[in-house]
Amino acid sequence: MKSMLKKVFKHWEVFLLVFLVLEFVVFGAANPKFLRPQSILNSIVNYISVCIIALFVTLVMITGGIDIQAPSIIGLTSIVIGVLWSDAGMNIWVAVAIAVCIAALCGALSGFFIAYCGVQPMVVTLGGSFLYSGLALLVSGMSATPAYQGISGFPAKTEAGEFVGFRFLGKGEILGVPTQIAIYIILIALCIWILHYTKYGERLYLVGVNPQAAEYSGINTRAVIMSTYVLSAVSAALAGTLLTANINSAKYNLGSGYTLAIITAVVLGGTLNTGGKGSILGTVLASLIICILRYGLPLCFDVSTQNLDLPVGIILVLVVLGREIAGQHMLSRLFKRRG
Amino acid sequence: MKQIQSLFEARWMSSLIFLILLFLITGIADPAFLSYSNIISCFNTATMYTLLAVGIAFVIMTGEIDVSIGATLGLTAAMTGLIAQRDGSVVVMLLVVMVVGAVIGLVNGLGVAYFGVPSLIFTLGTNSVVRGLVYIMTDGRTVENFGGTIASYGNKTLFAQITVYYAIAVALVAIAHFVLTRTRKGKYFIAVGDNAGGANLVGISVLGTKILAYVLCGLFAGIGGFVFASKYGQVMTVAGNGYEMTAIAACVLGGVSLSGGLGNMVGAAIGAVIMSSISRLLVFIGLPSTYDNTITGVMLIVIVVVDALAQRRSIEMSRRKRLLSRTAENTPEGGVKA
Amino acid sequence: MAENVHGQSCVPRLQISGICKAFGQNVVLKGIDLSVRAGEVLALIGGNGAGKSTLMKIIMGIYTCDRGEIRIDGQVAKLGKPAASLAAGVYLVPQEPLLFPNMTVLENILMGFHEKESELKKRLSQHMQELGFQLNLQRKANTLSIAEQQLVELLRGLMRDARILILDEPTSALTFGEVQALFKVVQDLKRKGISMIYITHRLNEVFEIATDVAIMRDGVITLEGPVENFTKDMLIAGLLPQDADVQQNDRAYEPVRYSELKPVMQVKALTGYGFKDITFDLYPGEILGIAGVVGAGRTELISTIFGRDKTLSGQVILDGKDITGLPTKRVLEEGINFVPEDRHRHGLFRIRSISSNTTSALLNSVKIGRINMNRSQQKRIAKQYADDFRTKIVSLEDLIGSLSGGNQQKVVIARALSTMPKVVILDEPTRGIDAAARSDVYNIIRQLKEAGVAVLMVSSDIEEVVELADRAITVFQGRINGEFSREEITQDVLTSASFGIGQERKVRV
Repeated sequence: MKSMLKKVFKHWEVFLLVFLVLEFVVFGAANPKFLRPQSILNSIVNYISVCIIALFVTLVMITGGIDIQAPSIIGLTSIVIGVLWSDAGMNIWVAVAIAVCIAALCGALSGFFIAYCGVQPMVVTLGGSFLYSGLALLVSGMSATPAYQGISGFPAKTEAGEFVGFRFLGKGEILGVPTQIAIYIILIALCIWILHYTKYGERLYLVGVNPQAAEYSGINTRAVIMSTYVLSAVSAALAGTLLTANINSAKYNLGSGYTLAIITAVVLGGTLNTGGKGSILGTVLASLIICILRYGLPLCFDVSTQNLDLPVGIILVLVVLGREIAGQHMLSRLFKRRG
Repeated sequence: MKQIQSLFEARWMSSLIFLILLFLITGIADPAFLSYSNIISCFNTATMYTLLAVGIAFVIMTGEIDVSIGATLGLTAAMTGLIAQRDGSVVVMLLVVMVVGAVIGLVNGLGVAYFGVPSLIFTLGTNSVVRGLVYIMTDGRTVENFGGTIASYGNKTLFAQITVYYAIAVALVAIAHFVLTRTRKGKYFIAVGDNAGGANLVGISVLGTKILAYVLCGLFAGIGGFVFASKYGQVMTVAGNGYEMTAIAACVLGGVSLSGGLGNMVGAAIGAVIMSSISRLLVFIGLPSTYDNTITGVMLIVIVVVDALAQRRSIEMSRRKRLLSRTAENTPEGGVKA
Repeated sequence: MAENVHGQSCVPRLQISGICKAFGQNVVLKGIDLSVRAGEVLALIGGNGAGKSTLMKIIMGIYTCDRGEIRIDGQVAKLGKPAASLAAGVYLVPQEPLLFPNMTVLENILMGFHEKESELKKRLSQHMQELGFQLNLQRKANTLSIAEQQLVELLRGLMRDARILILDEPTSALTFGEVQALFKVVQDLKRKGISMIYITHRLNEVFEIATDVAIMRDGVITLEGPVENFTKDMLIAGLLPQDADVQQNDRAYEPVRYSELKPVMQVKALTGYGFKDITFDLYPGEILGIAGVVGAGRTELISTIFGRDKTLSGQVILDGKDITGLPTKRVLEEGINFVPEDRHRHGLFRIRSISSNTTSALLNSVKIGRINMNRSQQKRIAKQYADDFRTKIVSLEDLIGSLSGGNQQKVVIARALSTMPKVVILDEPTRGIDAAARSDVYNIIRQLKEAGVAVLMVSSDIEEVVELADRAITVFQGRINGEFSREEITQDVLTSASFGIGQERKVRV
């Protein structure tokens, strides 16, 4: 029994895949409309920021850290692009490039404090989430457009109704696949390559398992840890760009409220929050499970779209409890109490 | 003299000095700020954060974290509103919010301490669940129009412009502080966070202490929910969203270490005042309130970085001193020092 | 003075008889008999792995023994958990005190009691008065020196009415003045009739404060009795294995011809945290043993050379290049690698595969790819070492945590050799591994030597140094206090020098 459970949990991704397929079966049976590919893709597009950032927060958590500041960088990126383009009159792509650089700096700053000053990642990124969302608001104050309205009118939509240029990122299609999904797929491939095929990925795992032993192996653990925060900030900048292009509005508070959703996706994907274990595939599957759940429940079971936190929360709680119990923690704990 | 010295070494003292400095700087920018009513209202507005910060401080001291308190506050606030709509009595409301808060805390405590799920992850899950319960309970609508007695309590002052609620919060802080520093069992919270292994050796139940910390945390969040409903007279489904982060920040500002075993309730309460005063301070300094989060973030990061560096330095120094003493020349230093 | 200070009782306070304990195949205690009377101080001496700490843990109720019994005041005591031992009046003052660092001294002492605080305080001040302690009870524990922390631990024990105190190497981290203060306390406690077991590595201390002495080696007591019956030389004889004189210098391999060689590494007056003025040369193809007791500063010395801590002064020269104070990554690139003492903390990546562990030090080289991991190359390297070292594995992809200690150690050694270093530093290379793995490790070390690699081996296992080393130095209290050529190396001289005796044998460089 024990060994069987262990085998199943060795391949957490298998469990997630089965769960995902079950979702399709159940929702599809309950309401055939569910299976329209366009809607399914849309459900992912709606949650694309979380999906993208979760990929890179996985890298952070594999080194044993945590990043709760990424969502604030979505808003910062969005408003920086908006202000540089609309108020400073820059080329939109230059604006995007500058915004991404700023995000990378933000990530580097937090990463520096975490890696080189030894402050807990949770606190630094909490401070970072205040700081970067605050900066976003300040940047938005530099714009002629009132903050609550959001800067809109990004290029461009042809008269034929086709999206080109910047907005192509948010609304366009490549071979019938929304651009955002295409980019997501590319990022998944990129992350799988980074984490599972490069020496850098190997370093991430080693640092997460045992930073001291990594140091004895000549790995510069501090640089490795810092780099993951830069990566996750850049991913948040990317998500912010896509979101801005999608809704045709640059706002300082985009992405606020995604914090817990991102962590949920990563944890559900099987990444240990103590570091050293996890996979991109797991995070992707978990993100999709959440997307499909959020799409399927209202459509098939009349759950209010506002109240989608509850099922996601229940699944998270059950899954982590189950994993913990299966991991014999419970047994050892009972034993300890008796002793 | 020694006592005064140790008072200044206390971590909450530096938070208090920091708060006073903030007030003084603001006062220099605009003397109008230093009026009595202004300062008092800084404290009054901190009521909810004070309750949340003190509650979560129990958990943080044992070395864990609880990100579900914002949702707990939302749920209990909604329940208060719903009961008020049905003209329920204040006693019922208080009982309900306290029981609901405590039960959520118990669930968190069991999940974290008994089942050993990492606290961030588990409370993240209960956060979503509790937030979902708010929607179910309110049908996704804002709970409002529950005038009557409880809404009128919101701004009632007790004496010297101090609101009833802040007075109650202060009393609770005082009790919590007393329990924590003066009673035998109260010290267990710190002991568990400080050195769980050592606590076990002297016969302290780590499990029980952590569960109790979560129950207390939920209880305080529940009371916070009651205050929320009473103060604002309406409860949206997202009420309390993000409050957990503010409460954690308040604790950090108040010198409660997130690695556990360090800090106290007075500090957490002062941190809560700092967190809730910032926007008001900005107004008087002449900066728009849009600087709020930026200043908070900078403050938080600077404080924790300085604190971490200082701690690391002192640990490193003592290690080096110990190692150096091994190679010191073995010449008698004269006299016996004990 | 040793005989029954109080004279009132002939029943020993603590009597241990026939204690046996094995962990799996590994028999640690083979029938231990010991007794301590009221007011006696029993000094317990023994090398690493002799079983002292296991015995103490059994007395403290952290382990249960397989056979034998413990009597306290003549009554058979059932000790199975720490609480029972505490109740029976046993208290262990650990080497590194287990205090609550952020609490005051007072809180630390009173934590976990159920009586009224005022009463406890009264008792505490009584104890402090009797012993003449002057300690500010309001100080935070993390501001205390180790000596003061030990006093706090002692008070904790006294407050629990402990009648048997176990002091585990209490002086290892103390300065001379602090040691004197501690001795005074021990004398006072002795006068109060408290029994003590005093674990130490320092033979001088035995004669200064102990009333009785016992020596443990390989799980048995080799010598026991009142301290005045013994001399230092007799104690050292007790620390040596019985067949010590027989198996010497029968090693078969070629001696190193030092006159024809240039040193590959030169350490010049190196001073750092925990060691001072260390000077030695290391030649290619030799095994240089560094002997000494735990806490002598050997691990600090070699980890500083490896870039893990700050160098205060002095130089390390590798192949003519000054590598003093370089970070670990650069030291590795220059051609030194390291097998750490604490395998679990500094060596292993528990939840990574065997091949990952083997090649972790190669991540900075192009051997396993430039950007991409060359998995097949990685496996090839791991496989080669596993075959060469006869590591028992099922699959290279198995987690290293699933291996036995000996096989884990082989993987860690493989990692250290994978970078093709000129100098290999081994810190306690055979600690905690079984006999078969040990002989495999010895073979690996000999092969290294034959391949012309310089091996610097720190070991507390004197037999190991005798068997392997071409030369040996001993470190005592952070300084080199002896250097021995292969002909001079015997268990006798190394043990004496490790314990700081026979310092007339001055360093000859």
